[in-house]
Amino acid sequence: MKKQEITLAVSGLNNTDNPGPGVPFIRGLKESEEFDVRVIGLVYENLEPGIYMEDLCSRIFQVPYPSSGSDDLIERIEDIHRQENIDVLVPNFDAELYSFMKNEERLLKQGIHTFLPTFQQFQEREKHRLPEFGKKYGIKVPASLNLGSLGQITELEDKFDYPVMVKGQFYDAYLATNKEQVKQAFMNISAKWGFPVIAQEFVSGTEVNVVALGDGQGNTVAAVPMRKQYTTDKGKAWGGITLADEKMMHLTRSLIKQTHWRGGMELELIKTQTGEYYLIEINPRIPAWVYLAVGAGQNIPEALVKLALGMEVKPMHTYKIGKMFVRYSYDMIVDLEKFAAISMNKEI
Amino acid sequence: MKIIKEIKISDNGFVFNSNTGDSFSLNSTGLELIQLISQEKEIEEIKEVFTTRFDLDELTFEKDFYEFCSLLKLHGIIARESTSEFN
Repeated sequence: MKKQEITLAVSGLNNTDNPGPGVPFIRGLKESEEFDVRVIGLVYENLEPGIYMEDLCSRIFQVPYPSSGSDDLIERIEDIHRQENIDVLVPNFDAELYSFMKNEERLLKQGIHTFLPTFQQFQEREKHRLPEFGKKYGIKVPASLNLGSLGQITELEDKFDYPVMVKGQFYDAYLATNKEQVKQAFMNISAKWGFPVIAQEFVSGTEVNVVALGDGQGNTVAAVPMRKQYTTDKGKAWGGITLADEKMMHLTRSLIKQTHWRGGMELELIKTQTGEYYLIEINPRIPAWVYLAVGAGQNIPEALVKLALGMEVKPMHTYKIGKMFVRYSYDMIVDLEKFAAISMNKEI
Repeated sequence: MKIIKEIKISDNGFVFNSNTGDSFSLNSTGLELIQLISQEKEIEEIKEVFTTRFDLDELTFEKDFYEFCSLLKLHGIIARESTSEFN
C-alpha cells in the first residue's frame, strides 16, 4: 500500500530531563504504515534537543511564546505554512493549547488540521476546577483549596492535615509538610505561574497514569495505563511499565464517554492501598511517555493524525502488558552552524 | 488460596504483578513454593514435598509457609479475601 504523504508540524522538541512529547510523537508517526511524514519542528528555544537530532525534522522554525500573544504565534504559523504547506499541526504544550484552540477554524480554513479539546473540555479539567469536575463526572478527586493570598493558609490548615500538595495552575508541584513550606511554595509558584495557587489534599498511594485518545464523540480510540518505575527529581517518568488494570481502563472510558473528550490526554491518578483511584490531574495533550503506548501496540500519534484529517479510526482495545520504557540521556555532537542558524535566522 | 490472575511467574524466580507493576525476586525455595501454590496444591501436599526433601520438621515448615503466604498477601500476590486461614 502506498503511504499517504503528509506534512506535520509539531512542537515540544525539548527532550530534556523534563521532556516534551514532540520527539516521541514524531517517532510514532515515522513508524506509521499509512503515512509518509515530513516533519516541521516548532521550537521556542534554540537548544531544544530535537533541533539537533538527525533524521527527525526536515525543517525547524522558532516560534514566539504564546505569552507574547496568540496573534504573533498564529501569524508565525501562517508564515511557516506558506513555505511548507502544513497538513496537520500538533501542539504539545499546555500553555500553547489556548492559542491553537482559539484559532482552530482560522487554521483549518488554510488547510491546517488540528485535533484539540474544546474550550469547555480544556477549562473544566483545570486544576483549580478539579473538585467540580470530580463531582460532575463521578470521579474521586483530592479535596483542594484555591489560594489567592498567604492569608488563606489558616483556612487551609482548618481544612486539611499536613502534608499538602501545593501546585501551580499550569505546572509545578511541591509537597509541603508545614506552614512555612506552604508559604515558600506559594511564593515560588505564584511568581512563575500566577494565581490561583492550588493546595490539594495529599492522597497516599501509588501514582499511575493513562495515555488516552478520545474521538470527540465519546469513544475511546486508544488507552494504555502505566506505572512510573523511576522518576526524576521533578517527578517525571524516566522508566515505566504498562499495566493490566481494568479499573483504570473503565475510569478512562467512562470519562471520555461523559466528556466527549476530543484529542490526546493523560490522566494522573493515585491508587490507594485500598484500591481506590483519585484523579489528581488531567493533562489535555499527549504525554512525553507516549512512545510506550506505541511500543505496546497502540500507535496513538498515528491515530491522532488520522482523526485530525477526518479519517476513520477503529478503537484499539489491546496492548502488550508488562512493556517497559527506560529513558536515557545522550550527548550529541553538533556543529556551530546549526546553532547559529536557528539563533540568527529563526529557522533551519 | 489462589494466586491472582495478573501474576506472572518466570522460571528464574522473577514475579511480576501486571496490575500494580510491582516485581519481586524469589530464591529457588520461594519459587518452588509459589509454583506449588499456583498449582492450587493443598498445604498438606506442599508440606509433604518439603519435609521429604529437606531436613525439616512439620512445625517449622508451617511457620515458614504461613510467613511466606503473609508476604504474598501483603504484596497482593494472592487474593486478600482468600487468605483468612492465616490472618
